[in-house]
Amino acid sequence: MPLPTPFHDRTSARCASMKWKEWAGYYAVCSYELCHEPEYFAVRHAAGLIDVTPLYKLDVSGPDATAFLDWVTARHVGRLKLGQVGYGCWCDASGRVLDDGTITRRDDASYRVTSADPSYGWLVHQARRFDVRIEDVSDRLAAVALQGPAARSVLGDACDDDVSGLRFFRAMRTRIAGVDVDVTRTGYTGDLGYEVWAPNDGALVVWDALVEAGRPHGMTLLGLDALDVCRIEAGFVLLGVDYFSARRCVLPSQTSTPFELGLGWSVHLDRDPFVGSEALAQEQQAGSEWALVGLHTDWDELERLYDSFKLPPHLASSASRVAVPVYADTRRGVQVGQATSSTWSPVLKQHISLASVRTPHAAVGTELGLEVTVEFERHRIRATVVDTPFFDPERKRATPRSAAASGQPAAPATEPMA
Amino acid sequence: MSYDALVIGGGHNGLTTAALLGQAGRRVAVLEARPVLGGLAARDEFAPGFTTPGLLQDTTNLRGAVVEQLDLVKHGMRFADAEPNVFAPQRDGRGLVLSRNDVHMQAELDPVSQADTAAWLDWRASLGRLRPFVQRVLNEPPPDTAPGSIRGKWELARTGLALRRLGRRDMTELLRVGPMCVADWVGEWFETPLLKSLLAGPAVRGGWVGPWSPGTAANLLLHECSSGRSVASGPAGLVDALAATARAAGCELRTDARVSKVLVSAGWARGVELEDGETLHADVVAASCDPRTLLGLMPRGALALHLEEQLGAWRMRGTTAKLDLAWRGELRFRCRPDEVFERAHVGETLDDLERAYDPVKYGELPQRPHLEIHVPSIRAPYLATEGHQVVSILVHWVPLDVLGGWTDERRAELERAVLATLGEYVDDVAEHVVASRLLTPRDIERTYGLTGGQVQHGEHALDQLLHMRPNPSCSRYATPLAGLYLCGAGSHPGGGISCGPGQLAARAILEV
Amino acid sequence: MTRWDAIIVGGGHNGLVCAAYLARAGRKVLVLERRHVLGGAAVSEELYPGFTFSVCSYVVSLLRPWIIRDLDLTRFGLQIIPLDCSFSPLPDGRSLARWSDAEATRREIAAFSQRDAERYPEFGKTMAQMARFVKPLIDSPAPDPWSLKPRNLADLWRTAGRMREMNDEQRRILTKMMTMSAADFLDEWFESDVLKAPMSVSGIIGTYLGVRSPGTAYVLLHHYMGEIDGAFRSWGFSKGGTGQVSEAIAAAARHYGADVRTETPIEKILVRDGRASGVVLENGDVFDARIVVSGVDPRLTFLGLVGSEHLPDEFVTQIERYKLRGSSGKVNLAVDRLPEFACRPGDGPHMRGDVAIAPSVAYLERAYDEAKYGAFSKRPYLNVVIPSVVDPSVAPPGKHVISCFVQYAPYNLAGGADRWPEQREAFGDTVVDTLAEYIPGLKESILFRQVLTPWDLEQDFGLTEGNIFHGELSLEQLAFQRPAPGWAHYRTPVDGLWMCGSGTHPGGGIMGASGALAARTLLGTKAV
Repeated sequence: MPLPTPFHDRTSARCASMKWKEWAGYYAVCSYELCHEPEYFAVRHAAGLIDVTPLYKLDVSGPDATAFLDWVTARHVGRLKLGQVGYGCWCDASGRVLDDGTITRRDDASYRVTSADPSYGWLVHQARRFDVRIEDVSDRLAAVALQGPAARSVLGDACDDDVSGLRFFRAMRTRIAGVDVDVTRTGYTGDLGYEVWAPNDGALVVWDALVEAGRPHGMTLLGLDALDVCRIEAGFVLLGVDYFSARRCVLPSQTSTPFELGLGWSVHLDRDPFVGSEALAQEQQAGSEWALVGLHTDWDELERLYDSFKLPPHLASSASRVAVPVYADTRRGVQVGQATSSTWSPVLKQHISLASVRTPHAAVGTELGLEVTVEFERHRIRATVVDTPFFDPERKRATPRSAAASGQPAAPATEPMA
Repeated sequence: MSYDALVIGGGHNGLTTAALLGQAGRRVAVLEARPVLGGLAARDEFAPGFTTPGLLQDTTNLRGAVVEQLDLVKHGMRFADAEPNVFAPQRDGRGLVLSRNDVHMQAELDPVSQADTAAWLDWRASLGRLRPFVQRVLNEPPPDTAPGSIRGKWELARTGLALRRLGRRDMTELLRVGPMCVADWVGEWFETPLLKSLLAGPAVRGGWVGPWSPGTAANLLLHECSSGRSVASGPAGLVDALAATARAAGCELRTDARVSKVLVSAGWARGVELEDGETLHADVVAASCDPRTLLGLMPRGALALHLEEQLGAWRMRGTTAKLDLAWRGELRFRCRPDEVFERAHVGETLDDLERAYDPVKYGELPQRPHLEIHVPSIRAPYLATEGHQVVSILVHWVPLDVLGGWTDERRAELERAVLATLGEYVDDVAEHVVASRLLTPRDIERTYGLTGGQVQHGEHALDQLLHMRPNPSCSRYATPLAGLYLCGAGSHPGGGISCGPGQLAARAILEV
Repeated sequence: MTRWDAIIVGGGHNGLVCAAYLARAGRKVLVLERRHVLGGAAVSEELYPGFTFSVCSYVVSLLRPWIIRDLDLTRFGLQIIPLDCSFSPLPDGRSLARWSDAEATRREIAAFSQRDAERYPEFGKTMAQMARFVKPLIDSPAPDPWSLKPRNLADLWRTAGRMREMNDEQRRILTKMMTMSAADFLDEWFESDVLKAPMSVSGIIGTYLGVRSPGTAYVLLHHYMGEIDGAFRSWGFSKGGTGQVSEAIAAAARHYGADVRTETPIEKILVRDGRASGVVLENGDVFDARIVVSGVDPRLTFLGLVGSEHLPDEFVTQIERYKLRGSSGKVNLAVDRLPEFACRPGDGPHMRGDVAIAPSVAYLERAYDEAKYGAFSKRPYLNVVIPSVVDPSVAPPGKHVISCFVQYAPYNLAGGADRWPEQREAFGDTVVDTLAEYIPGLKESILFRQVLTPWDLEQDFGLTEGNIFHGELSLEQLAFQRPAPGWAHYRTPVDGLWMCGSGTHPGGGIMGASGALAARTLLGTKAV
């Protein structure tokens, strides 16, 4: 049976829909009300608060911590500045992605790694030749994400320190209601947002303080359904949906490389060898077989298709994680890939999908055929390859100039997220 | 400095590789970490005036082809004239001498069991039929299992054909015996407990197995099919001849040259760095150290990750200790006081061996260890002072790390157990022992740079033989890293003083 | 007098499967069982009023699903309830349960080793992939490496084809599994003894080997052939006890026209002019048949029922060398309440699976060490199931049956196997004492106890040397060497005499494969 997170008392009291799912062994709310849309709009227009405790959290420290993380991750961790957060992935020896997550440099030789899949065993296994300490703090650390345009104000009201100067993909330590917390300017919504990491015993205090601070700003509690829509709009891949950890795959064809997932920007090859570097270098030279692309569904065609059934167009309002075939064209072309995540984007008024397609079909502007089922019949309609993120507001990475100057050392926010 | 080839480790296999490469005109340097050449076959003065001719004792498995190819006899090696007999003493009874000479064997066995005399001849005959095939397997590189290797398929087909040529009965017998335990196999043939124990000995020594462990019959089969004459002055005599041959072939033999790192650039092994910082360059680096020691010399990322992991799991759990005794007078066994024996086997029944093996699994010391005794000074009196002998005892099975660690008390306890066991067959042991030196598996590890003190460079278990030795990707001596070769006992055909790995590795290097 | 097409010697589950297939193909089949119940070692008996015991074999392991489909066994009453949990209590108050719920299992293992918890599903994934390659081997007759007959060559080619399909890593793992000890193999994957010990025992069940004996790793695969529910472990209880499996097969056999008789002990298999012509019962009755198929073990078949005078010397030697050496016993208990484990009190879901008393690898190995020299283990490995928890039909309400499979109990005691009767109760006490260390109130709750030593298995069930698998499942006695090199295809040196028991390929627990493959071979070669 799943376990309750430290926030469970609060989340369960508010989860009127009784819609829960299991996430990494914990109970997680799908949506607090029967419909997730208000929660979605809160993130895009005010702020949303979501319990992300089920993420795996690992502390890596010791004299070789930097060298070790450089060895295991495709990203050059050594280049992370103090207080900087890096997004990256780690691969197996053949360059196949095992997991993705963030790495926060908390000290000279101390890092915090978050991941979607349990990675402790793998890291320990790789650590044989390094002087590092790896500690799984997943069970000790509660996490909550505060996302949306009002997130900065809400967090500012709740924290002892001024957080307005905290730049994109940076971390700081502060206190909320007397509890020591780590705050990172990160998230999974593609919007302005923060994640707050607090010890279990202070979790409820922090939660209450954030809820209290959020009240005047229209903050809403956020479930996974709304988060899913947000992350597709932001073009973020999800482990177990858009790709699978090589560790869990049975066939090589089920695995992916960082390049194939559009994470090539996070792969740094111009340095000492690391796990999978040889294969990745080869792939960079030879090119990838697959590419992760965004797709815009052609609305007019969709409408015409429904019309031919004498129906108005209908699309589910929540995101779909059912993989759907993608063809070379809308007629008889061969299958060239699959759309793994799709949703109706309420801000863009557009049906969007994340899809893995064979590289020759991955150029922006390519028109492909997407399978759509109407009245149990399968049809193909036109979908066009577009750049991701689908939605990328400036506020995501912007930091108020005055605050930046006063609070944090001035340096451009360089994180080229997606 | 630049060479054609560098050989890491100057043991008998490293020297064999070096000498063969040198003969082929390559410029070779051998890098031995210790002050003396020879590794486990190096002579060692363990007490003033007392020298043992090698940690290992048995030279009967030396490959004839190596002797011929290197012309070792010309360089001073001699085969012993005497039969390499082994004596097994008994508390009640005359004991038994195991001989390769059927007439002698018959004389020994007849008084004990005539059935066994008959069985002995049959057994030897059946081994004689299998011998060519087994020798063929031992004298060739293991089959190439790489997919799509035409040569591999061809070789496999030829081996398969050779197997069929044995005839249905012998072929099925070979396949049947391979995975069996040695106790069952010898039990099918013989009834005399002492004979069974004596035969089982070579099949179980060195490994984490006892006579009732499946797979040990294969070890006996390999041993019986490859053993012949022994070298006159023991392992050290062989090493001297190998070194002389190597020098004559132009090899540079460096002692006190401990390799600290294999140099790798652009996917090639380019040379080595010594502990004192000196770097040596070469096109070929051949490692005769054990696979896990080699792993420690490789820079991170030089070997594929999975290979690193798999070699890391290579099983090297040493179980052999060595007790060298300076012995006043001659070693005489109570049950046959009129004869002296160069080699003896202490362990009267299969169960004695099995009971000697049991404690090692729990990190405990054997109460009555199985002893493999060698008295080299009988034929080489110069190894001991006047009126004395060198009694070298390989003690089986001793854990690498005894529970609670190797304290002085535990060492004394082990030594007591050995001498007490010996005392069951030899009178007044304490009065004979002038000096002694004990090497536990940990000591052997430290002294010889041998992971786990495992004298075979990897236990002889079915999954660590042939193409699995030490890994399918480097079982044919070349490793996936260009320029890096294996030439030690961690490769086929494995441990013991055969020089086979060294020879086959040299062949592989020269083929390129 | 009627002449039967085939007489099956022994009404064990393999004999019955063979009979059912032959009868279904229209042959006139007679099954002769010595005891009053069918099933051989797969029997249910009411030994104590109201309590039904699966006397010997207690879980259904790999009963081939195609046999269930072919013979429509569900229609004849077969019901299998999968074991949901593997529970290992520890003497120090901790415990480990492995569930069909992967996340719950991960948490359980993580209490001992987080690394192992993460590797566990990977191990399962690897094993499942390996099982794909091995499964065809147990579902078809063993390939014959000598024969040049096109059919056998085709078999060999098919087997080799499977191997070719494997990648290097899989070939390497398979080689290791065939040759390594279960403990060594698991050492490469896991660090926690608490996890390794209960996993490693699958390799030693029914063998006279320890978890550190080479060759025991292979059976680990059998746990991953997931047949019953397709997901987690293919082991389960048969509703009403394992005898119900036999009853269902017997019902199918009778439905297809076979004559199945109990209490008809056979004295001799008749051999005339080098050909099996029928059987003589102990009461002197003679039955003639075109062929005789023996479902009993090879030693009993050839040296007991046929007689060495009818066999070639070489074959007699092979059968004499064939190792049976039973190593396990069984203790069945009727108790007046649900047992409660000190380390995990209550009637939680951990009671629904099998319970392994295997606290460490060293514990198991020591149990073996004692047995090697001819004594039963003072601290034995126990595999305990309480089928009445999931199948209330086998015990009165609120009461329970406990089945303890015990290892090691070597057939050959120091001083002779016939010393077993005098040691039987001491052996039973050892088992109950061991279990009572984990279940404090056990002794007071016992209403009835049955102790089966290997000696009893031989005397009562006709299993030579008490070997539950009709011969050790060691590498040299598997596949084309089972029961003897050259005689792996159910054929024997006596014309018209065939084998269909667990002593033939693939052997093993309640799989039915030997019986079904024997029948297929008989029909395929038009022997009957």
